[in-house]
Amino acid sequence: MNKTTFISSGFFFALLIVAAPLSGLAQSYITESGHVEFDSSVPLHSFTGVSDHLVGKITLTDSIVDFYVDVKTLKTGIDKRDNDMLRTLEAQKYPFAEFYGKIVSDFKPIDDHPQEVTVEGEFTVHGVSKQTTITGTLKKAQEGIHVEASWTLNMKDYNIEPPGILFYRVSEKIDVSISATLPPN
Amino acid sequence: MRAQLKFYLVPVIILLFSMQCMAQMERERANIVEPVETFWTPTLISQATTEHLSAGNLNVTIMHSFGIATTNTIQNFFGLDNVQNVRLGLDYGITDKWTAGIGRSSLFNVVDFRTKYALVQQHTDGSKPISISIKADLGIVTQQNRQPFKDDLSTLTSAIISKKINEQVRFQLSPMYGYFSSVDTGDNNHLFSVGVGSQINLSQRFAFMAEYYPVIGTQNPNTNNAFSLGLNIQTGGHVFQLFFASTRWHLEQYTIAQNREQFWAGDFRFGFNVNRIFGL
Repeated sequence: MNKTTFISSGFFFALLIVAAPLSGLAQSYITESGHVEFDSSVPLHSFTGVSDHLVGKITLTDSIVDFYVDVKTLKTGIDKRDNDMLRTLEAQKYPFAEFYGKIVSDFKPIDDHPQEVTVEGEFTVHGVSKQTTITGTLKKAQEGIHVEASWTLNMKDYNIEPPGILFYRVSEKIDVSISATLPPN
Repeated sequence: MRAQLKFYLVPVIILLFSMQCMAQMERERANIVEPVETFWTPTLISQATTEHLSAGNLNVTIMHSFGIATTNTIQNFFGLDNVQNVRLGLDYGITDKWTAGIGRSSLFNVVDFRTKYALVQQHTDGSKPISISIKADLGIVTQQNRQPFKDDLSTLTSAIISKKINEQVRFQLSPMYGYFSSVDTGDNNHLFSVGVGSQINLSQRFAFMAEYYPVIGTQNPNTNNAFSLGLNIQTGGHVFQLFFASTRWHLEQYTIAQNREQFWAGDFRFGFNVNRIFGL
């Protein structure tokens, strides 16, 4: 083994030493069947849209929180209204509602009580991303991490024109909540 | 040299793996197999479609047809002064595949009970290429007359075969059998037709539609095959259908039995349907 080979090998082994623990520690929790719902209202009437196809990943080592849902999986109970919603969201062009951010408050994975956490990141829907802060709870359980969160979004912020029903307009404020248990990956 | 390459590759792979753990997930579309939306409404203009209400949904329909638009056009304001027939209807989704409904037409005060069942539904993944539904309708003339109840009955039995060909074009064939318990002299108790219907989407809000009722076998005297042409308009929560039709009927058995007008000779009338679905 000449000198160059020796140095190169040393460099890569050093890399190995740095990379290996990263890989080992980066334990993530993933689900593809989280629950998401939103409440929308028009005068004298409100409706709820739900989906059980929320995909989520939480990585504790770097506090990354990554969730998305294909908006075509959201169902409001009336097919016609679902189609209207997908048209409003331009689902063909912007198929996902998504959040990508970081846990910015303390979370102790060893504690199995629900802990309030704050996450900061980008929420994207209808192709528009906005910096968002969401407060929710994380709970370490035997089957993984259970997450619950809710927040209110304003359709105007995301360039979504609230659909009209006769002379009424759907309220611009939409209450969104998610609930999911993410098993370890 | 090969041994050295292995030395380099191992940490690189491990590093890439660890980086992948931290990266944003790749977004993948949900793979949901569901029935395609072939038509926007359970009834095209007057022909039933393979579109079904979801379980627990109620469709309220108002169907209107006016007088012939081309006769005394100005005096009758394109026929709008002469309301010919109004059918008010309620249809309810018992399951996602089975619908039952009731309606009342102002012409002869016909009250009709109907049901439709989806045998096959075209699926989004292409595993089922067509939709087939069967429909039955029982019409009862409730206008006062001198005939016994058993002579006030009519029925319609049909199979509806449809296909969404692409995002724009949808097509259906409806072999149908109409039966009237009592008819005028020379008219037929039994009538057959193969209804043809099509919807062509212009945008997400507008679609053209057309339907034709060629009677197979003996036609009733002085009747013609009915034809209608219309525009579907989807708004938030409603589907409005504006159409020109030869027939004044909104029931298929009466359409094949009693249409006297010839659309292409200019005997057409204006009409409209309103569909509003409620979740119960």
